[in-house]
Amino acid sequence: MKFYIENLIGRFRRFFIYAGLFLFLLPPPVHAQPDLEQIDITELSLEELMEIKITSVAKKPQKMYNAAAAIFVITQDDIRRSGVTSIPEALRMVPGLEVARIDANKWAITSRGFNGRFANKLLVLIDGRSVYTPLFSGVFWEMKDTMLEDVERIEVIRGPGATLWGANAVNGVINIITKHARETQGGLATASIGTEDRGSGSVRYGAKVGDNAFFRVYAKYLNRDNAVFAGGGEADDDWNVTRGGFRLDWETSVNDSWTLQGDIYDGNDGQTVALPSLTSPYLESFAEDNEIAGGNLLTRWKRIFSKSSDMALQIYYDRTENKDSTLGEKRNTFDIDFQHRFILDERHEIMWGAGYRYTKDKIGNTFSVIYDPDSREDNLYSAFVQDDITLIKDQLRLTLGAKFEHNDYTGSEFQPNARLLITPDQRHTAWAAVSRSVRTPSRAEHDVRINTETVPPGSASNPTSLPVLVTAQGDSDFESEELVAYELGYRILATDKLFIDIATFYNVYDNLRTLETGSTSLEFSPAPMHLVLPSTTGNKMNGETYGMELAADWRPLDWWRFQAAYSYLQIQLHLDEDSMDTISENAEGESPHNQFSLRSSMDLSSDIDLDLWIRYVDELPALNVESYVSLDARLSRKLRKNLVISVVGRNLLDSRRSEFGTPLFVSTLPTEVERSVYGKIEWSF
Amino acid sequence: MLNKTPGFIVLVIFCLMLGWVQSPYAEKTASREYLIKAGFLYNFAKFVEWPEDAFPDTSVPLTLCILGEDPFGDSLKSIEGKTFMGRELAIRRYSRVRDTDKCHILFISPSEKKHLPEILDRIKDKQVLSVADMEGFAEQGGIINFVRIEDRIRLEINIDAARRAGLKISSKLLNLSIIIREGGETIRP
Repeated sequence: MKFYIENLIGRFRRFFIYAGLFLFLLPPPVHAQPDLEQIDITELSLEELMEIKITSVAKKPQKMYNAAAAIFVITQDDIRRSGVTSIPEALRMVPGLEVARIDANKWAITSRGFNGRFANKLLVLIDGRSVYTPLFSGVFWEMKDTMLEDVERIEVIRGPGATLWGANAVNGVINIITKHARETQGGLATASIGTEDRGSGSVRYGAKVGDNAFFRVYAKYLNRDNAVFAGGGEADDDWNVTRGGFRLDWETSVNDSWTLQGDIYDGNDGQTVALPSLTSPYLESFAEDNEIAGGNLLTRWKRIFSKSSDMALQIYYDRTENKDSTLGEKRNTFDIDFQHRFILDERHEIMWGAGYRYTKDKIGNTFSVIYDPDSREDNLYSAFVQDDITLIKDQLRLTLGAKFEHNDYTGSEFQPNARLLITPDQRHTAWAAVSRSVRTPSRAEHDVRINTETVPPGSASNPTSLPVLVTAQGDSDFESEELVAYELGYRILATDKLFIDIATFYNVYDNLRTLETGSTSLEFSPAPMHLVLPSTTGNKMNGETYGMELAADWRPLDWWRFQAAYSYLQIQLHLDEDSMDTISENAEGESPHNQFSLRSSMDLSSDIDLDLWIRYVDELPALNVESYVSLDARLSRKLRKNLVISVVGRNLLDSRRSEFGTPLFVSTLPTEVERSVYGKIEWSF
Repeated sequence: MLNKTPGFIVLVIFCLMLGWVQSPYAEKTASREYLIKAGFLYNFAKFVEWPEDAFPDTSVPLTLCILGEDPFGDSLKSIEGKTFMGRELAIRRYSRVRDTDKCHILFISPSEKKHLPEILDRIKDKQVLSVADMEGFAEQGGIINFVRIEDRIRLEINIDAARRAGLKISSKLLNLSIIIREGGETIRP
């Protein structure tokens, strides 16, 4: 503990030296006239402009201000100014999210606890397309990317979003929204090079076709260097992906708009895996490339019937492939989704919808991961209805909603919620919500057998003469995990320059996944003969989590903005008395209790931006990961109207640090995040 | 220890760059109302399409002109220099309508109210989007008028005048606006 504190002081001392040096060299600030307006008006849409009252203040776009949920929006400006080069890194600024890098291309990301490479309680969508894999239930973040410059915003909702988004949006939903093709006209080329980014680049070109249609095409190449192991040796986890895509937006009439978009990608990401074997040395550790490829095609039709009624129909196809020594997966998904909104009368605004999803996979089994059956088709039917009830005009609104779902694993699921929004005036918003949400089983939790390790014969824990193969196995009786969430939130525009958003939650979980250790049996195939010690999925754990998240946005001067985020989280898990599980309670110590982030954005002149970002993440005792403080800095300069250069330094306080441990089930060896610097050039034409 | 770290080098580079940066700019405050209107003007540039011959070549900027006293204060600074379809937005201020021939968007300041008929007459054959915030502007042949309804800004669009000027207004913008027809018909969103 003493060492820990000294270490922390040591790190802070270095930060203070930097900060002092920085302030010393900074030119003295010039007194700036107070400015009533902090909004970048060019970020507001027509609808938002029309909603702003002339005489009162409403800094945040209405959508965020009036949501009865814990919502945070990452804007394009936030992405650009933070200097991040991937979506997971951008998510680090969101209060309540946990983002930990496992190796140079894999992440563990969740909201409000239960983190892991296959964190299964967070749903992620890109332009309405689910990128949550039903195989392990989780997101292969290494495969999910797009051209960051063309992202309009990333909306993050912590807490259950099941009513609108469906099952598995238990602890949160991330919605990555790319720009309308109209907003990406002309050319843009970017190139970056640095110590970790070995040379990445992207090109986009957008133009108008015909009378009312716009399109863009893009290509992106990403090349990330190897990280290092905790011991200091260089790992083989470099990451190379080439992707390309297009988007076409067409207004066919005054009331109809069509979108057609698609992407394809191909690449590989390195990893070092430790796999069990039945012969000496019983564990093989080796580096390899995981091959990834995929594509998708999506179309959306929106029709406005009248001011009080509109609908959207969306259809997409998605294919993903990945292959390494543990597993091969090929998956095709087809999804159709319909939504209709109408104003029933003065009090009721109704939204309802229905959807169907078909997914079929083909698994390439290996010694360590075996799916039975190795190919499966699944159907998911869903329908939802939501009523937005105005109790007192402009002041009190009640939203009641429910989603019904039918899946091939657990049958029907019912997920209702109730939300109350109180807006006494333009400066204060209070909200409360109660929701039920479920996390449906993944394919793995029903059908898989994973050989996780071999205990050698004659060792301390295995005195027999046969090797013991430890396995994790799915069970067709595995049920959905359930959550009832109670949330309270408050937003206040304290002054014209300070906005504060507080969200608190108390989550009660039941039927949480456990791995029940069974009894040993003898197995002859594959040879040689060995004992098997299985752990089978069960639902023998319940628990509570509670916490609070705070976001603050302060603009003391019209050229200087601070954005802070703080999260507190407590997890308490309880195994059933008859449970034989030995690991699932570890989730209590796999999420940080405290996280803090502070971003400073300075417009030093109309051409020069300076951004600093400091973050603190608490320790993860169950994974032996220490707390850390990280500092990123970005300086950009507009050389000409169409040419911007920037220098970004990341993780400046440490030469390297560990952020997560070995993920559960598939033993990818974790590597450390290194200090890095890169330069970037952006040319628009 | 410090001088070995790239972080230190980056910081020094930052600080040196800061040394020759001009001091942060101080700006006058602008009224909230005109800031919102500046936001609309920015959106007009996005949602209105000019005929091709309105731009003799690709280097010609999209020009927003203010005729008369500028009520925007510094609000227009945030939109100046933005690019639309590869064209930059330039802002010019004029006191005489005969100087406004190169304008694509012409905002007629409330200070010019009494000259409105002659201004509209002068620009009526031009490919210019006329914008104002005066009662009856759209009815008199102006294209877009800002009106204040329930403490919010709404738009009146005279689509006949827009058509005469050869301008194409996106359906998205029209959907949200009050449409004025010169036959006297008014369509509300």
